[in-house]
Amino acid sequence: MSDKGGHGFSLPNGKGVKSSLKSTTPVTKDASIKGKDDSSTKSKKGRNVQFASEGSKFDKSAAASTKANSGSSGGKKEPEPLQLKVENELPKGAKCLMDCEAAYVLQGIQEQMIILSKDPTIKLPVSFDRGLQYTKRSTHYTDPESVRQVLENLKKYGVSDGEICVIANVYPETTDEVFALLLSLKARRIMLDDPVKEVLSELAKLKKST
Amino acid sequence: MFFHIVLERNMQLHPRHFGRNLRENLVAKLMKDVEGTCSGQHGFVVAITGIENIGKGLIRDGTGFVSFPVKYQCVVFRPFKGEILEAVVTMVNKMGFFAEAGPVQIFVSNHLIPDDMEFQSGDMPNYTTSDGSVKIQKDSEVRLKIIGTRVDATEIFCIGTIKDDFLGVINDPASV
Repeated sequence: MSDKGGHGFSLPNGKGVKSSLKSTTPVTKDASIKGKDDSSTKSKKGRNVQFASEGSKFDKSAAASTKANSGSSGGKKEPEPLQLKVENELPKGAKCLMDCEAAYVLQGIQEQMIILSKDPTIKLPVSFDRGLQYTKRSTHYTDPESVRQVLENLKKYGVSDGEICVIANVYPETTDEVFALLLSLKARRIMLDDPVKEVLSELAKLKKST
Repeated sequence: MFFHIVLERNMQLHPRHFGRNLRENLVAKLMKDVEGTCSGQHGFVVAITGIENIGKGLIRDGTGFVSFPVKYQCVVFRPFKGEILEAVVTMVNKMGFFAEAGPVQIFVSNHLIPDDMEFQSGDMPNYTTSDGSVKIQKDSEVRLKIIGTRVDATEIFCIGTIKDDFLGVINDPASV
């Protein structure tokens, strides 16, 4: 399954890339011309692969990795630029974890391993250490539970789990920052402005004092 | 972003592992097999956190191996397009820079670095604004946005951008 995205980034080859595949279709600005034949991708329900200006800049690197346009990621056509759509891409039953929650879980496992690892053949992989290191560095809060509680308030305004996690992970300071980083929320800004402001002020209280 | 998820896998176990410790052996093998692997759909399996259920074993014809369907919970790390991440810069060159966020590698091309930042070569290659106020070099922490991902058998590689509002350096090691 790892070859689903093929080799090469699943970036749009955008304007001006000579695709090795026959692509006589005019490349519209927002079109994600990916895959072997565009007609089939249209019908395919797939990831939202829209790039506005970023795409074209990647022409060279994308072209270099020839198959940059693997057909599997045929996208719906939407005019918006790149948005976070965690829910669409994730298998069912997955639950997003904020970095601080992940830190808590991983830390627990590490401690357990020290006690339990009599068997020298079981070693924690490199990716575990890297993951733990990453969570430690990027965790801004001490108490994951109360952070989760505060952010749950946004759920009733239709903010998704993925978006909530990003807010928790990047620790934005202003509402402007939130809406600039999460384009998917921008459209609903009028409705979300106040609740987000409230949540941010609550989060500021929970910040780790370092 | 990290996820908690339940996955299933058929584990084949040699008869020598049967007996009282069958379950432990099975779990140990599972950990050895899946931790640290990655797939396009789930990303990196960082750690197994629990076993939900071990099904009835089935003898494989002709080998004696028994395969058990095992359902397990695990923590996975997967980058998403559009996600904002904090990453540490590992290498800077004139093409752009590489950064690392957990187990994931991210490349930011110089086209996706703000236009006012220029590449400076030297002992410590870096990108600096014309007034010198902002500098990206090795070990800088940057906030970036993922715009593309590629997955192969052992690693996930991303393309990121810092050419947007509220993206860029968040912690400069030189200034500390």
